[in-house]
Amino acid sequence: MTIDASPGTARDLDPITVEVIGAALESIVEETGEALVRASYSTNIKERRDCSTALFDTQGRTLCQAEHIPIHLGSFIGVVPKILEMHKVADMQPGDVFVGNDAYVGGGTHLPDIVLAEPIFVEGRITAWTVNLAHHADFADRGHAHIYQEGLRIPPVRLYRAGELQKDILDLILLNCQVPRERLSDLRAQMAANRLGVQRFQALCAKYGTDIVLSAGIALLDYAERKMRAGIATLPDGVYAFADVFENPEIHGELPVSVEITIAGDEMRLHFESPPQVRAGINMTYTALLATAYYIVKSVVDPTILPNAGLARPLTVTAPEGTLLNCVHPAAVNGRVQTCQRMSDVILGALAKAAPDRVTACSNSACTVATFVGQRKSDGSIWVYLETMGGGAGARPTKDGLDGVHVHVTNTSNLPLEALEQEYPLTLLRYELIDGSGGVGTFRGGMGLRRTYRADEDCRVRVDISRLRSRSWGLLGGGEGANGAIVCGPGVTFQRDQATLKAGQWFEVVTPGAGGYGAPEQRSKGAVERDLTESVIDVVTARDVYGVQI
Amino acid sequence: MERWRVGVDSGGTFTDICLFEEESGRVEVWKVASTPDDPSRGIAGGLDEGMRLVMPDVGEASAAAVSYFGHGTTVATNALIQHKGVPTGLLTTAGFRDLLEIGRQKRPDLYDMFADKPPTLVSRDLRLEVSERVRNDGTVEIPLDEDAVRAAGRKFKQIGVKAIAVCFLYSFVRPEHEARAKAILVEECPDVFICASHEIAPEFREFERLSTAVVNAYLGPVMHSYIARLAPRLTDLGMTATPHLTQSNGGVIGFETAAQMPVRTVLSGPSTGVVGAQAVGEVAGFPDLITFDMGGTSTDVALLKGGQCHLASEAIVHGYPLKAPMLDIHTVGAGGGSIAYVDSGGLLKVGPRSAGADPGPVCYGLGNTEPAVTDANVVLQTLNPVHLLGGRMAVRQDLAKQAIGRLADQLGLGVMETAQGIISVVTANMARAIRVISVQRGHDPRDYTLMAFGGAGPLHAARLAKELDIGRILVPRSPGILCAMGLLLTDLRADFAGTRLLSPGRGAADDVETIFAGLAARAESWFREEAIEPGQRRIVRTVDMRYAGQNYELPVTVPDGPVTAATLDSLAEGFAAAHERMYGFIAEGEAMQLVTYRIEAIGVVRKARLVPRPVVGEDASGAIRERRDVWLAEAQDFVSCPVYDREQLQPGNRIAGPAIVEQMDTTTVVLPGMTAKVDEYLNLILETA
Repeated sequence: MTIDASPGTARDLDPITVEVIGAALESIVEETGEALVRASYSTNIKERRDCSTALFDTQGRTLCQAEHIPIHLGSFIGVVPKILEMHKVADMQPGDVFVGNDAYVGGGTHLPDIVLAEPIFVEGRITAWTVNLAHHADFADRGHAHIYQEGLRIPPVRLYRAGELQKDILDLILLNCQVPRERLSDLRAQMAANRLGVQRFQALCAKYGTDIVLSAGIALLDYAERKMRAGIATLPDGVYAFADVFENPEIHGELPVSVEITIAGDEMRLHFESPPQVRAGINMTYTALLATAYYIVKSVVDPTILPNAGLARPLTVTAPEGTLLNCVHPAAVNGRVQTCQRMSDVILGALAKAAPDRVTACSNSACTVATFVGQRKSDGSIWVYLETMGGGAGARPTKDGLDGVHVHVTNTSNLPLEALEQEYPLTLLRYELIDGSGGVGTFRGGMGLRRTYRADEDCRVRVDISRLRSRSWGLLGGGEGANGAIVCGPGVTFQRDQATLKAGQWFEVVTPGAGGYGAPEQRSKGAVERDLTESVIDVVTARDVYGVQI
Repeated sequence: MERWRVGVDSGGTFTDICLFEEESGRVEVWKVASTPDDPSRGIAGGLDEGMRLVMPDVGEASAAAVSYFGHGTTVATNALIQHKGVPTGLLTTAGFRDLLEIGRQKRPDLYDMFADKPPTLVSRDLRLEVSERVRNDGTVEIPLDEDAVRAAGRKFKQIGVKAIAVCFLYSFVRPEHEARAKAILVEECPDVFICASHEIAPEFREFERLSTAVVNAYLGPVMHSYIARLAPRLTDLGMTATPHLTQSNGGVIGFETAAQMPVRTVLSGPSTGVVGAQAVGEVAGFPDLITFDMGGTSTDVALLKGGQCHLASEAIVHGYPLKAPMLDIHTVGAGGGSIAYVDSGGLLKVGPRSAGADPGPVCYGLGNTEPAVTDANVVLQTLNPVHLLGGRMAVRQDLAKQAIGRLADQLGLGVMETAQGIISVVTANMARAIRVISVQRGHDPRDYTLMAFGGAGPLHAARLAKELDIGRILVPRSPGILCAMGLLLTDLRADFAGTRLLSPGRGAADDVETIFAGLAARAESWFREEAIEPGQRRIVRTVDMRYAGQNYELPVTVPDGPVTAATLDSLAEGFAAAHERMYGFIAEGEAMQLVTYRIEAIGVVRKARLVPRPVVGEDASGAIRERRDVWLAEAQDFVSCPVYDREQLQPGNRIAGPAIVEQMDTTTVVLPGMTAKVDEYLNLILETA
């Protein structure tokens, strides 16, 4: 196998050219991301924007990425190298498009994230790759003992060959999907986004010269690395450890998880320990662990670092193979985002010991997901609706945490109620912040959310959540956030991680609050009074915890 | 009889007046200081002065000859930026009072954990809920609890809110509940500004509609009292023409509509500048422009490719999602009045705090002691160190020097280095703003002409162009009043829209015809209100279409004539072509939907026509007013520079930098190595050698 890895001579470029081309690359991935969202059909992409787009160099290094959620930093990492491992570059032609999703041989992190990758040809040779990923809300109502239960595993194979659709492959994929019409439409949108990426990148090469564009790409990797190193260097050298437990409706008991961070000069090493992988969908692939580590370290040391492959160079991430945090075939991975969220807070807990003024208290440590599945009365077709919910964000050294937002590795929009009820037989009865759910402190932790649903037709609902038993910790005297909860209306029972709803029954998800920062006695009287006026806290808390008499 | 069309752009610092006589084509400009405590005072005063300038014998009713009055204002945008709207209440469907705060539940920045959302404009205790529920098909599941609305009204009254927004679910499908609730609230709170979401943005997506309605309510009383002060002042001057305000889309609306829908005017001021720039650029032969409108308190930049500025139907303005058509303009909070200071880390910073018009920069001598960007220019003598506004405003260079001297002591630098440092910092801020709208969107600024206007644009344009490697700058003849002039270069425009989901099948033709007939009737009555002659009326019909299941629509133009089955076929073809162009594919076999029907009604007006002048020759020496020592970073010293009088420059004249060009409303700096030439429209074109 030969990889065309030579991007011409890496030329020394002036900083303005690097910046102009870097911005043009960013603009390409932003534009392709926007095209993907706008042309897609499924609510998960068109409204919730659970998708990302990127450009890679011929060695499979991320040149530029428009990630709408940080975990996609990891879902892309392995894709192009896997394609290059399995397919001969010499056989590739313009218009070839590879499709894949597998966590073990597809470079993905869980099966619903379907990746489409297309080589970009300039003057007869591959100069870069345009790649996009969309979370297809399918493969629902599955088991999660191992990955074979979780959906169709797709290795990187050609969906298009020289511009021609490989109908056999498409038919095979669609037969394994519960909502094939949406899958087909979303795949078309993904195709269109890549086509735009090819055109824009070729135009950029025509304008500046392929050598210059590729050299600028290399310079941008170095630039991200320099900024990452400069950021790490501002943290005090040392070894910092933190441990927490992880629990989830899918498993019994609590799993101990921990990290040990070693900071030495401008490099950082993160070593993770956790129990052996489990027969549940909460295992993380190594690429998901990498994405989590990249996200937190970038956020703490310098949020402005470009999300390209250069930022990874000063980081070493290790975890024993076959464990919860570095799982191997055939571990199930569908709900890995819960584990990523918990590990984000665990890393923050360790970094709090190095730089307490640059971190937050523990956020809600979850990405609460409710997936509804039913069969329409009208035509018998299956419908799948997936939504993710925000919760409290950790209090900060100088201000309160954000209320009811997505934290850490996710940041997807909610689906507007007026779109939700149009498309699915569900009615939303309440959507609100939960009084008193943010941890107390000089600065208050963010509040959790309540969403109350009524089923208008029979359906099943599955909930992925955490912090139902454990609580999000406060920092430097700050209090814990409130637990999450599942509340069932009359006649509804939540068993393990799911419930069956009859038409007319209701069901409620309460997401966890976040930890507070600093001793509550230090909170300003004005802030306590405002919280009271807005019923964010009650009179008893004001009096007993904050010492404010009203 | 003379008929004057007047454009007035009221900014934070200056109020610009542009006057155009319809018969003769005569154009005059005037500029007065703004009166921020009550902008209407400066506007009426400026209009009076302007009319007396063009009609010296006008007598008492100076504005009687005004045939058209167009006005761009920053009242709404300033109140939103500074969070100086009124205490506002919100009434929502039970269970959803927190939606305003939750929004789309996204955090404001993916990686910066210290980033904040903009403040919620209605605090939680002023967000009240009432029982009611309309379904997506328009049926009522829970009737409106009118007693609860009444009780909420009493509570709002007791608390003393000045505005109330009403936003219920699905009000864009069935507005009755909102309308009834509003009527009850009007009874309970007769003196409060009340608006319902279906009146402001009758479109789906509850959070964006809610946000738009709340911003509208929050700004309502501010705009209302502004207009209530301005309108009688204009009448007192004898003006009988209907006054107009610019909307964020560059078109205009009447005062009545603006008072009800202030949210449509949040980008009023800047959008008129873009319209003016577009017209001037087109005539001068430069359709690819980056506009650089630097005023006293803020700077607006926009990109025009082929003369077109992208129009967004929804945007996030100062952190708040708004559903209203807007030109794509990027604003930064820095201008000539921005204050320079040394921050806690010992670095020199400029803005966003501004000295405004009153007290203004130190050199105005009105009591401010903190140096602004203008003071740095006065000390460097790029600005006239004796007087501004063509001699109408005295300048205290000594005070400016003292103020910058204090800053210089803190920094351990010389006075002149510090003054130049202020210019460098502000130039870097501006360059960053321009990169946002150019390189970040894939446009190389080097391919564009920088059009500098606003009072401070031409003063800073040369340094900015150098920073961005832009080779050409266009300074229009009256750069200080391009916004006001834009009001005279654009047609009257109003948009009418309605939403209804239809499939473009055979049976839909009658429905579509009926919808458009309804919109056309509204357009006709608007034409009559504006007294637009039948021959000057234009109507453009479009339908926003999508494939059933998509959430974003593409506009498709409707052919003229009655809507028939053939029209629908042509819409389907048009949509398929648009989809192919935009996304690269046609979804064969997928059902299409007609969603929103729009009529753009245009009243074609006689516009100020820019007349070319004969080329005279290169020699500009006749326009030299004096020589002045100007401190230049290139020389690290004062250099004697010729100061040209812009009024005396003739087409064909050439000026070699370094030089200064002064005119009443601005000063242009020509740096060493640059050449300025005057084109036949009296634009100044600066080019790097």
